[in-house]
Amino acid sequence: MLSGKKCHGEVMTWSHCPVSAAAAEIDGMSSTPVIDVERLNLTYGDFHAVKDLSFQVERGELYALLGTNGAGKTSTLETVEGHRTATSGTVRVFGKSPRDRRAVRPRMGIMLQESGFSPDLTVKESVRLIGKLTQRTDRVERVLGIVDLTRKAATKVSQLSGGEKRRLDFATAVYGTPELIFLDEPTTGLDIQSRDDLWDVVDKLREDGSTVVLTTHYLEEAQQRADRIGLMHKGAFYREGTVSELTRMLPAAIRFLFADPVPALPLQATREGDGKVLIETFDLQKDLHTLLRWAQDHTVELRELQAGPTRLDDVFRALGSD
Amino acid sequence: MFSIALSELAQIFRNRLVLVTSLIMPAAVSALFIYQHEGFAALGSLGYIAAVVMFTVGAFGLYTTTVTTLASRRQNLFLKRLRSTAAGDAGILAGLLLPITVISLVQVAVIMTVLAVVTGRPDNILLLAAAVLAMVIMMLGLGLATAGLTNSPEHAQVTTLPISLGTIAVTSWVGITGTEELTLIKRLLPGGSATELVLNAWNGGVPVTESLILLAPTLGWVAVAVALASRIFRWEPRR
Repeated sequence: MLSGKKCHGEVMTWSHCPVSAAAAEIDGMSSTPVIDVERLNLTYGDFHAVKDLSFQVERGELYALLGTNGAGKTSTLETVEGHRTATSGTVRVFGKSPRDRRAVRPRMGIMLQESGFSPDLTVKESVRLIGKLTQRTDRVERVLGIVDLTRKAATKVSQLSGGEKRRLDFATAVYGTPELIFLDEPTTGLDIQSRDDLWDVVDKLREDGSTVVLTTHYLEEAQQRADRIGLMHKGAFYREGTVSELTRMLPAAIRFLFADPVPALPLQATREGDGKVLIETFDLQKDLHTLLRWAQDHTVELRELQAGPTRLDDVFRALGSD
Repeated sequence: MFSIALSELAQIFRNRLVLVTSLIMPAAVSALFIYQHEGFAALGSLGYIAAVVMFTVGAFGLYTTTVTTLASRRQNLFLKRLRSTAAGDAGILAGLLLPITVISLVQVAVIMTVLAVVTGRPDNILLLAAAVLAMVIMMLGLGLATAGLTNSPEHAQVTTLPISLGTIAVTSWVGITGTEELTLIKRLLPGGSATELVLNAWNGGVPVTESLILLAPTLGWVAVAVALASRIFRWEPRR
């Protein structure tokens, strides 16, 4: 507890000093990747779940690991967390093996995909127990407050709803403001308000310098928040990069309907199953301008006109066609 | 470890099923043996009653609860949750099993004290304590190994039967018939040598050095159980 004491040169008004910045100051590792995975392979019997995967996560980044079902992202994540042993390759977290729990775990918070709490313990007891075992310092009441579970503090875990259990899970992950936080499908089962609240907390943690590794099926969350994305397919990276780098690889789309017959279109187009015309373009602004001028010149009404940049969904869908 | 142990203790007292099977049932059976001690002593000896109550607590309290607890905590991913912290595996297991171990030791101590008050004190209390400790370690080891084969608390009701009923059967066999015949077999069976140790400690008449040799087979079972557990114990449910 550092209440009223100096923390990173500032007097703290609440009970704890964020670990992230403190540790960064101490170990001077700001240039070293927080996570360094090199040629990771994981096999289960004959099944090759992860194949020669390499990636790094830098301090302060929000890195999203996305992929189709069975792509190997949970296996990868659990290996980086230290729950699994790599068949081959190296995984370093803060420069150490993630299996070295005593060294690594106090600096990382893990939100598991499934709950994993004892049903007979109360919410407060669960946070206190797991928080204490992380060896980080925080106030249980503060953590319950930020996930809006204060009123449920004395409620047994068995009596919580699915969304409340996810919030409890999140509470134990952010207890003590860890430097590195793993969020495995954090918003699954949460209502919109709870999702927004959760992301507000994540944003605050990132302001404090925390690094976040995220897996999610909500692609818009990754698109909005991830600094970089690793898109996995069949155990390997299909693509890795920023959202703009990933979406730049696929053309943007212009879609519309019009009544036949019309003069020849000025751009190459195809008909979709619903009768809409699709124009794919890597220069959306220029081609949209060309199309609109053509429509005006020929007094053609472009009904249900839609034009937009490539979304992560489109990149994701392209996985299926590979 | 102690924070895990404290939370585990709270859970034991909040779970009626565990409370009944691990605390009340062994105590009730032991009470029956003590109440009917004259009949059971005629069947075997007072040492036999001591051995039976010890293994009743060991098998139905300690062993069964060990298996059920580990299977339950694994099934609801609590083990995985604990392993996502800085706690080591040994500390997690020790924390989970410490409460039921202490409860079992206290139960055995209380029950044997009552037996001693009712029937007279044992011949060698230290030897008896060694027998109890050996039994506790053996049952913990067997519990860890059995937990590796147990998928759920419900499954534990089946997987624990061979060891729990087996040790009680061996105790009764050795306690009633002694070890003059089929000596090696009786001593090598799980619980056999521990039972003989209790018989010697309670009834007397056997040199301590000869009795202490009986610790070896019991500790041998510990080694076997730990070796098995290290191969088959799982921290996460089978998917």
